[in-house]
Amino acid sequence: MISPVLRKELRIELRSRYGTSAVVMFLLVTVVTIAFAAPGELIPPPLMSAFFWITVFFGTMTGLSRSFVSEEERGTALLLRLYAKPESVFWGKFIYNLLLSLSLAFTAVIIFAFFFEDFVVRDYAMFSLQLLLGIVGTAGIVTILSALVARASQKGALLPVLAMPVLFPLVIAVTDATTITMENASSWVAVRGDILVLFSFDVALILISYVLFNFIWRD
Amino acid sequence: MKIIRNPIVLIVFALCFGTSIFLSFSTPVAGGFRDTAMLMMLGVTSQTPVALTLEQKISDSASISTYRAKDRFDLERTLHVSNNFALQSGMTVVGECSFAPGDSSFTLINVQRVNPAMIFPLIQGLGELGRNILFHVPMSFIAFIAFLVGTFYSIIFLRKGNLKYDLHARAASSLGLMFTTLATVTGSIWARFSWGKFWDWDEPRETSILVLLLIYVAYFLLRSLLEDTEEKKARLAAVYNIIAFATVPFLMFVLPRITRSLHPGSGSEAPVINLSGKTHIDPSFSMFLWINVVCFAILFFILKDIYIRIETIRQQREPNYD
Repeated sequence: MISPVLRKELRIELRSRYGTSAVVMFLLVTVVTIAFAAPGELIPPPLMSAFFWITVFFGTMTGLSRSFVSEEERGTALLLRLYAKPESVFWGKFIYNLLLSLSLAFTAVIIFAFFFEDFVVRDYAMFSLQLLLGIVGTAGIVTILSALVARASQKGALLPVLAMPVLFPLVIAVTDATTITMENASSWVAVRGDILVLFSFDVALILISYVLFNFIWRD
Repeated sequence: MKIIRNPIVLIVFALCFGTSIFLSFSTPVAGGFRDTAMLMMLGVTSQTPVALTLEQKISDSASISTYRAKDRFDLERTLHVSNNFALQSGMTVVGECSFAPGDSSFTLINVQRVNPAMIFPLIQGLGELGRNILFHVPMSFIAFIAFLVGTFYSIIFLRKGNLKYDLHARAASSLGLMFTTLATVTGSIWARFSWGKFWDWDEPRETSILVLLLIYVAYFLLRSLLEDTEEKKARLAAVYNIIAFATVPFLMFVLPRITRSLHPGSGSEAPVINLSGKTHIDPSFSMFLWINVVCFAILFFILKDIYIRIETIRQQREPNYD
């Protein structure tokens, strides 16, 4: 039952390209702003890692915030409730969000590597793992919180306000890990603690979101 | 819950709490001979208060008597005492000593307290500021307990669907927010006087407590922005409350441990209060710490009860009040 929801999301996305185009624009505008703010400056690894992850996190929020809001606005939420079980809605939306944010992160890596010569990753396997763990957690939290925000007024501003503090342990761990990976090549030992935090955070939050989704979704 | 509405219980609690706060402020903080000697070696001119028991008079002249004196750590030294202080052997004295490097005897230069009922240990580098442990630590502790209680009621609410439990969750979370604010304020004032500035972004505990504040402010913001039936609003808020609490262990326990910091309880070091009973602090002091923790916990339950009663009355009188 997961795949029909996922297929519907992908089809809508391919038809309108709302998510991807908004996100790519967001990434470009952010990177250009950073480049204008620090023209020709040497950006040290801690700052570079912070810039990168701030861009990815806020980009994800822009891209994914619509997924439940648009259902409510177009009045299709009721149909989806009748048609699919809550679990399949959650996992379908989650996998779709994950795919979208992974492609976003991948695009962000390309844009950063193109525009900033200081964006140097010394351990690609490690960096990919961090990217994956960071994105999985973000997609999970944004999925459940965007379902929650779809029920509130002031929908636009609320998602980052709710999601950013909850994502904070992940933000700290992942920026720290990326800084280490940008600084030295053999970083597995140094980032072990961060990776453990990321992994346990992802597992805990996604399981909790899955259990709680039913309470948000049902009417 | 009925028991904390009993006036006699409340009066007894108020007396205990008042006494505990009074003693937390008034008990002298004192070290031993070693503290004085160390500070003098380091060239620190201000003297440390020392707690001493005068054991036995060795010699007696017109103006100065010499005693064998024992400090809090059972360290025996020779002590010169001016006869103006009118001390006798067997007395416990809190005062300041001077010590000349190379000399083995100390001189008592003033007397602050004679035979105090209790003495708090001197924590090197903190001195009188160490008293703040008795307020700052219980406040952070109760903040965690409040969030735990709030989440517990949120879970019960989601299972049972009775709005009464949502009110409990709201009361506990708002008090948790209050205690977190208090812990942040006492902590940053403390940081100003022992580390030099009110706020330091390199300090993971300060950052994570700020995020904790943001999370629970967001929780109340969400409550005010939801437009739906009471039951639905309460359900969505309960979901956010549980998600928010899932991050609390990371913010309060995990991240401060894996990052380096000045705050106790970072890295592999155990925090000052821990369940394994390995406290680094003096037994008399840690007893007081636990008394304050219990007092603050009872205060939390009393305030929670009052909050719930006010809200219940408000809902009865103004059913459409939001």
